[in-house]
Amino acid sequence: MKKQIYLDYNATVPLLKEVKKSLIDSMYIGPLNASSIHYYGRKGKYIIDIARENISKLINTNKNNIIFTGSATEAINMLFRNFDTIVVSSIEHLAVLSSSRSDHIIPVNQDGIVDLNILELYLKKLIKSNKKILVSVMWVNNETGVIQPIKDVVEIAKKYGCLVHCDAAQALGKVKINLEEIELDFLTLSGHKIGAPTGIGALVYNNDINLTPLILGGGQEKGMRAGTENILGIRGFGEASKFVNNSKENNCSKVKFLRDYFQKIIKNLSPETIIFGEKANRVSNTLLMAHPNISGDLALMKLDLESFSVSSGSACSSGKIAKSHVVSAMGYDNLASNSVRFSFPPNDAILNSENLITKKELDRLAHYWSNL
Amino acid sequence: MININQIIKEMDLDGDPSNHRVVVAMSGGVDSSVTAALLVEAGFEVVGLTMQLYDYGKALQKKGACCAGSDINDARVVSSKLGIPHYVLNYESIFQNQVINDFADSYLRGETPIPCVRCNQTVKFTDMFDRAKNLGASAMATGHYIRRKTKLGYPSLHTGIDPSKDQSYFLFATTKNQLEFVRFPLGSLTKNETRSVAKRHGLNVANKPDSQDICFVPEGNYAEVLRKLRPGSIEAGNIIDVNGNVLGKHNGIIDFTIGQRKGIGVGGRKDVDDNNSILYVISLDIEKNNVMVGPKEFLSCNKIKISDCNWLIDIKNITEFSVLVKLRNSSQPVIGTIKVNFDNSFAYLTFEKPQFGVSTGQAAVFYNIRESSHILGGGWITEAPNKSAEIKLNNA
Repeated sequence: MKKQIYLDYNATVPLLKEVKKSLIDSMYIGPLNASSIHYYGRKGKYIIDIARENISKLINTNKNNIIFTGSATEAINMLFRNFDTIVVSSIEHLAVLSSSRSDHIIPVNQDGIVDLNILELYLKKLIKSNKKILVSVMWVNNETGVIQPIKDVVEIAKKYGCLVHCDAAQALGKVKINLEEIELDFLTLSGHKIGAPTGIGALVYNNDINLTPLILGGGQEKGMRAGTENILGIRGFGEASKFVNNSKENNCSKVKFLRDYFQKIIKNLSPETIIFGEKANRVSNTLLMAHPNISGDLALMKLDLESFSVSSGSACSSGKIAKSHVVSAMGYDNLASNSVRFSFPPNDAILNSENLITKKELDRLAHYWSNL
Repeated sequence: MININQIIKEMDLDGDPSNHRVVVAMSGGVDSSVTAALLVEAGFEVVGLTMQLYDYGKALQKKGACCAGSDINDARVVSSKLGIPHYVLNYESIFQNQVINDFADSYLRGETPIPCVRCNQTVKFTDMFDRAKNLGASAMATGHYIRRKTKLGYPSLHTGIDPSKDQSYFLFATTKNQLEFVRFPLGSLTKNETRSVAKRHGLNVANKPDSQDICFVPEGNYAEVLRKLRPGSIEAGNIIDVNGNVLGKHNGIIDFTIGQRKGIGVGGRKDVDDNNSILYVISLDIEKNNVMVGPKEFLSCNKIKISDCNWLIDIKNITEFSVLVKLRNSSQPVIGTIKVNFDNSFAYLTFEKPQFGVSTGQAAVFYNIRESSHILGGGWITEAPNKSAEIKLNNA
């Protein structure tokens, strides 16, 4: 079997070595139900506390503002049920678009950046309804990697007295998130995007705001998310956060080098290929592109059969590939079935801890792409 | 006992199997799963493809049901078990346009369509076929019970060994060009053999029942599906007898098929004795929205017109010849004489003995009169005048 070349880190990051070690360690501690009063219960609670602290350090917030959930999607669903009116961008993840049930959709420009003028116009109009308004804009788009002007979004939203949520699932580990500097009311995170296990997410919120939980029961997570805590997931999320936080700042230069190198050879070998969001401020690891004559699902299958794991548009759980609403929203409707995403490790620390992707492999991939 | 070498031979691909990528059209049923399993066993590089054809959740009107249903998942589980790559192709819009809409239109024309053939024709053997070629496959295999044989370098199509499973009726539209590329490894197997292979491979679908219905018609209730697809175009009308007397009402001619006997909603004629007392649907009058019923003799049909013929034999020099013809999948072949138009696209077929209950929209599939397993081609029945036509003429 050929060596598998994984370039789908925006889908999920493999478990980090440090995370695996911590999980095995936790597995040997014993029965861990953090709600128990006894010795093991205390052990469990301690693990959760440390994890909460590690995550809070990574995003510079008070650890008491973090609620663990089963996924970022769950966190978003829980948050959204508290609002009647949610204003979202057209390129949000389906977790936001579907659960918001919003008709208030802010377009993006051709570079994939949310249109702030239209956001302001919307809010100006909507505040007249006197309803509780939530603005939800993602930090980093999962398909294009384009970084959204989240500070400006917050500023505009605050001007009209709206609360702001930011889906930071794709930002964590790729850009610096400092909640002291940015006045977000809600932030949602996903553990497995930085090398924790799947099945763990978090809602970060300003706990002055009263929220109604989605899952009721035994009162875990300060009553905000019932159900026995996923200790292994939480521990893993904490360890992954610690790992990312301990790596040097501005730590994506190697990743950026590889991505840009790949982009350059693609442009040379396949000049007809369109690269999305190239002119915008993008995270260093993501490259979304389309060959005008080749459908994304065909490209993906062919690449997979050559042992390259990449992704295309948004896949339903059936595996059926749908058109990319992000590419459509950027005005490239004719290419929305053609886009293919290549995503490198989120940062240098994770890149280094992985099997290094070599230039030779990228050359082979680019050649293959140009001859699809 | 299944002979893998025989299967390799029938695949008709040069050299070592490991040099050939073969795409298997996997529906999630036992037949296509075993097709994949046998080809893996034979050493081919197998890739599984499954078509997503319609929104399963919507079709069943079940809130929260996945768009894909359980069949795609079965195909995926089988593929994982066999260790082969598997992909889902999104053909929802093609299927809607080419198959479901055609199905509805055909019923509204008073025909009895066969969407499975349309699907083979327009989706499976065109789009999926192209995809298999694009993926660099040497061949595309399906789990149909039909045999492909090669004589003097030319492929021909033959009925499956297992007469109870033969699917030649549904594959008459396979073109010569398609036949170069498609393979049917199960053609020489019986259904029992197929199930035994599935068990031997520990496939979860080994005991899965055969699908009986049209895939997008849950529980076989096609009329309900049609009413959803074409609301407003289905109107109540009269059920009349051969003399024009109104015997009752119907809720839409889509509920009726030529030759139908049960569930017409009007009783037999008590004033007439024995055979003539049973009433059949003998004609569907679209313009007047009438369903005409009458005794069996009115179903008698001597000659039909067949359009969009597909020929798997060379017919340049022959214009009239005897064939065996199947008029429904479940019926036995009968003898007829076919007269082919010079451009080959349509033909007239005269039966040796009159046939009863021939319905337009169905296929007429031709078999070699000297070698009844050999499929010569087929086409769509577009005209099947029975005795009711004479009545209509008289009434006019």
